[in-house]
Amino acid sequence: MNEVVVRLALTVSQIAVVMGVVLLTVALLTLMERKVLSWMQDRMGPMEVGPYGILQPVADGLKLFFKEDIIPAGANKIMFSMAPILVLVPALIGFAVIPFGPSWNVEVFGVQFKPFVVSDLNIGVLYILAFTSIGAYGIILGGWSSNSKYSLLGGLRAAAQLISYELNVGLAIVGVLLLSGSLSLVTITEGQLGGFWNWYAFAPPFPQFVAFVVFLIASIAETNRIPFDLPEAESELVAGFFTEYSGMRFAFFFLAEYANMILVSCVATVLFFGGWDAPLPILQAPGDLAWVTGIMWFSLKVAFFLFLFFWIRATLPRLRYDQLMRFGWKVLLPIALGNVVITSIMAYIFH
Amino acid sequence: MKIKAWFRTLIFYEILVGMKQTMKHLLKYRPITLEYPHVKKPLPSNYRGMLALLRYDDDTEKCVGCDLCEAACPSRVIRVVSAEVPGEPTKRYAKEFYMDMTRCLFCGMCVQACPVDALAMTQEFEWAVSNKRDLDLNKEQLLAIGDRAFPVKEKRLEFQHPNVAYFNVSFKDIPEKEF
Repeated sequence: MNEVVVRLALTVSQIAVVMGVVLLTVALLTLMERKVLSWMQDRMGPMEVGPYGILQPVADGLKLFFKEDIIPAGANKIMFSMAPILVLVPALIGFAVIPFGPSWNVEVFGVQFKPFVVSDLNIGVLYILAFTSIGAYGIILGGWSSNSKYSLLGGLRAAAQLISYELNVGLAIVGVLLLSGSLSLVTITEGQLGGFWNWYAFAPPFPQFVAFVVFLIASIAETNRIPFDLPEAESELVAGFFTEYSGMRFAFFFLAEYANMILVSCVATVLFFGGWDAPLPILQAPGDLAWVTGIMWFSLKVAFFLFLFFWIRATLPRLRYDQLMRFGWKVLLPIALGNVVITSIMAYIFH
Repeated sequence: MKIKAWFRTLIFYEILVGMKQTMKHLLKYRPITLEYPHVKKPLPSNYRGMLALLRYDDDTEKCVGCDLCEAACPSRVIRVVSAEVPGEPTKRYAKEFYMDMTRCLFCGMCVQACPVDALAMTQEFEWAVSNKRDLDLNKEQLLAIGDRAFPVKEKRLEFQHPNVAYFNVSFKDIPEKEF
C-alpha cells in the first residue's frame, strides 16, 4: 500500500514537472517564433507588452481565454468540441517516454524509479508514432465538423499529408532501430553515449544522417509547419482546419502545434543526436552532477532543432499540393527505404 | 555540369543558400520598423492633413462667409451659412460653418479657393473616432484645430484696400473711411 502511494506521488510530481516545463516552453516558443522570424525579416516583432514584448504570451493567453467561444451553425457540436482535445492530448502525452537526463535508478522510500523519464516504455517509439497519428484524427474531425468548406479542405489535406509523411517518419526511424535493437527511447540513447562520434547520425557502421534529414523533413510536414503548412494555408484556405474555431478551442490547436514541434525535436534529439549525451566526454560533469549537464545538453539540442524550425519557416515558401505529394512519395520514400536496406546490410556485416 | 547540378539538388543547395541569407539578416539585425505611436515619421511640409479655420492675431476670424470653398469642394464636404456682421451691414461672416470630414478627400481645393486664406491644411491625421458623427465638425472645432496647428497667426492689417476690408469680418475698431 505504502509503496503504491509513494510511486503514485512520484509519478504525478514527475508528470507535473514535465507538463509545466513543456507548457512554459510552448509559451516561450510563441514569443520566440515571432521574434526570430521578425529579426530574420528586418522587423522587430512584438514590442508593446512588457520590455521588448516579453509578456506577449501572457497577453495572448488572456485574450484567447476571455474570447467568445463560437460554435458555428450546422456544426457537429460533439465532434467540434472534441477535436481540439483530440489534437492536444496526443501532443502532450508523447512526452511521457522522452528521457530528459541520465537513465539512473534512484531509490526513494524503498521505491526504485527513474527521475528523468516519466515512463520507460519498452515500445516508446511505437507509442509516440501511434499517438501522433491520433492527433491527425483531431485535425480531420475539426475540419469536418466545422461545417465550412475551408475547414473541410484543410482537414482533407491534413489527412493525405499526414498519412504520406507518417510513413517516411516511420521508415527513417527503422534505421536507428536496426542499429540499437530496441524500441525503448532510454535504451536507444544509452547506445549512443560517449561523444558525438557515437551518435546514430554519425556513428559507424552506417551513419544515419540521411535518415535524419528524411526524418526532419517528414516531421516538419507532420507538424504542419511551413513549408508544408498546406492544411492551414493562410493564402488559400483562410486558416485551414481551424478556420471556425475561436477562444480556448483555437488556443488548444495552437498549443498542440507547438507541443508537437517540441515533441518532434525531442524525438530527433533522442534518436539521432544522443539525447542527454555531451558532444565530447570532457564536457560532462563528473559523478553525481552529470544530470545537470545531461539536461543542459538535451535542452540545447532541442532548442537547436526548434530554431531550425523557425529558420526554415523564415526561408522557404509553401509547397504546392502536387509537389508535396511527389516529394513525399517519389523522393523521401525511396530514400528512406534505401537507407533501411543499406543499414540492415551494414548492421548484419559489422555487428 | 550535369553532375554538379545533380549534386546540388542532392544537398539542397538552393535551400541552404536561402537559409544563409536569412541567417545573415538575423546576425546583422538592422530593423527598419518605426514604432509608430512612440516614434513618428516626419511628414513633408506640404502634407495635406486635417482642415482648419484660421484667425488673425487679434483672434478675429478670417472667414468672410463667401461660400467659395463650398462651391469649390468636389465632394460637398463644406456647408456655410453666411450672415451679416451684427451692426455692420457691409460686412459678412460665416455664422455657421460645417465640415463633414467623413466625405473629405483632402484635395485642398477649398484652401486654394479661399480669397482671404481663412482655410488651411494641418499636419494632423490621427482622427480615428468611435462615433462617425464626431467627424461632422462645426466652426468652433475647426477654429480650435487651426489654433493648435498654427500658433503663429497672420497680422491683421490696420489699413487695407477697401475691397479687402469689405471682405473682412469683425472689424470692431475699424477707422472710418475719409471721403
